[in-house]
Amino acid sequence: MDFSQLIPHLTLGFTVALAGQNLLYCFIGCLLGTLIGVLPGIGPVATIAMLLPITFNLPPTPALIMLAGIYYGASYGGSTTAILVNLPGESSSVVTCIDGYQMGKQGRAGPALAIAAIGSFFAGTVGTILIALFGPPLAELAFEFGAAEYFSMMVLGLIAAVVLASGSLIKAIGMILIGLLGGIVGTDVNSGIARYSFGVSELSDGIGFVSVAMGMFGFGEIIANLGQTSESRHVEVSKVHSLMPTKEDIRMSIGPIMRGTAIGVVFGILPGAHTVIASFSSYTLEKKLAKDPTRFGKGAIEGVAGPESANNAAAQTCFIPLLTLGIPTGAVMALMVGAMTIQGIAPGPQVMTQKPDLFWGMIASMWIGNGMLVILNLPLIGMWVQFLKIPYRLLFPGILLFIAIGAFSINNSPFEVYMAVLFGYFGYYASKWGCEAAPLILGFVLGPLMEENLRRAMLISRGDPSVFFTRPISLGMLLVAFALLAMIMAPKFRKKREILHDADA
Amino acid sequence: MAFRNRDRKDFNAGVMYIVIGAFFALWAKNYPMGSAVRMGPAYFPTVLGWMLAGLGAILFFRSFFAHSEEPPTKTHWRPLVAILGAASLFGVLIGPAGLVAASATMMIVGAFGGWDFRWKEQIINSVVMTATCTGIFYYGLGLPFKLFPWS
Repeated sequence: MDFSQLIPHLTLGFTVALAGQNLLYCFIGCLLGTLIGVLPGIGPVATIAMLLPITFNLPPTPALIMLAGIYYGASYGGSTTAILVNLPGESSSVVTCIDGYQMGKQGRAGPALAIAAIGSFFAGTVGTILIALFGPPLAELAFEFGAAEYFSMMVLGLIAAVVLASGSLIKAIGMILIGLLGGIVGTDVNSGIARYSFGVSELSDGIGFVSVAMGMFGFGEIIANLGQTSESRHVEVSKVHSLMPTKEDIRMSIGPIMRGTAIGVVFGILPGAHTVIASFSSYTLEKKLAKDPTRFGKGAIEGVAGPESANNAAAQTCFIPLLTLGIPTGAVMALMVGAMTIQGIAPGPQVMTQKPDLFWGMIASMWIGNGMLVILNLPLIGMWVQFLKIPYRLLFPGILLFIAIGAFSINNSPFEVYMAVLFGYFGYYASKWGCEAAPLILGFVLGPLMEENLRRAMLISRGDPSVFFTRPISLGMLLVAFALLAMIMAPKFRKKREILHDADA
Repeated sequence: MAFRNRDRKDFNAGVMYIVIGAFFALWAKNYPMGSAVRMGPAYFPTVLGWMLAGLGAILFFRSFFAHSEEPPTKTHWRPLVAILGAASLFGVLIGPAGLVAASATMMIVGAFGGWDFRWKEQIINSVVMTATCTGIFYYGLGLPFKLFPWS
């Protein structure tokens, strides 16, 4: 690692991030993300898909800074909802619900929120430093990658994503394949043939996966929420008396925050459902380490501090594969790829060398954004509480409108709205039959990339598929992918995964 | 064959995978296949399509032997039709009628997907949200919308 470059890089980053306009967009992003993220039943993917269109008219740097802000805002907002109303806005705050809501019922919602914010900020800081440290050497390594390595890496990424995902393995792989197939609809770059376009001119440009995400996550989530009976959605908001945690709270939280951060950082880099696994692992670890494990589930502050830190650390470090290798590791990062592509930036190692102001500006803004969230969440908590009290029957038509306008503005054409509707139907039935949307989105983004790299690798090797096994880095990645698949077949692991899935549901 | 006891989720998902996979693979016959060295546009979708259909077949056959899990939940027709109908209506209206009319109509139609629809509050909601979105997207972000039928 070249530490001598770190200071000038970070100086450049902070100069960019602190420039008036960028700072403003970072703030707006965090605010909007929190605002939507606080709403129960709207996860980060739907939030980002919904808010993506408002960045279309911005230059690349503020657009990506704002999107990153939206992402943390949405993750953060989910925790607030978890603590105050016991409704996780996203799967990674499911664990926060357990002890966070109990604390809220005991009148200690304030300290729970404060500890969650402090833990997340600490984790975010560590995560940002790690990106700054490991980004450049990893990008250097990525420049050595050939087509075979890229292909194998994507195979590994997709396998890891399904191994860690919940539900049936076969169904998840199937959803990836549908995603990969859907992703290659449109004009083939090599032959110029418009594949699967059926003479529809919009389809020859490919299916925009932003509208896919909007349909499957946005419309799908609304329909699923409305499908539940009104009683189960009755919202009771815990009161927030005082935010100040006691000395005892802080003393008990330091350890969990440190350990949670360490867990989160590791899981964030790995492809898959990182934030969920990170927060679950942290909760389990804290429960094992506790002197009195029976306190867990009854409002133990460690059960909030650890998972929240882990969650946020993972949310931070999952940018590392995206920014250095150009490979998204989950549905949220897949949307970031989409946003970068719309802005005319091909994600990959070249971003750092060709657009250092964008790269370092984004990293610096991550840290600033995390700081802003503490400010946004603690003093403004009263406002979020009010927001939570709006009945869902008034909220969902507005969300619907946002999605429709967003889908329309992708190309200024109603076609994308119809695509979102189509994928809304598809997503609704698929999830009914136990097929999840997240692997499909990932496949959608990786489809064209995988095909391109497969073709290139085979062309270079003159049609010899052994190229994937003779190059050491490629072989290594395929072996890890294989090991992951073998692991999931093992009955012991399978059981654990099912427990996780049940808790997730 | 215990058809009634089959795992309906696996059965449905299996059929879906077979149909989608076979469709992509068979339709790929319209495009040049190429060779392993120079892959044509049909190569990748053919391989993936058959892989998908294969997974579907596994799910399909397995569903007859699996202990029947809980069946998939019933289709919630009301929200499904209201939400997706409202969104489609938005797409139809936005061209001829403009953003304001399309948004207001969509909000009302979509609201029928909820449990207790009350005209008064949903009309107020629709007016407020239409005004807000027009403000944000047209005036604030300068996205090129047609606002009214005559503009």
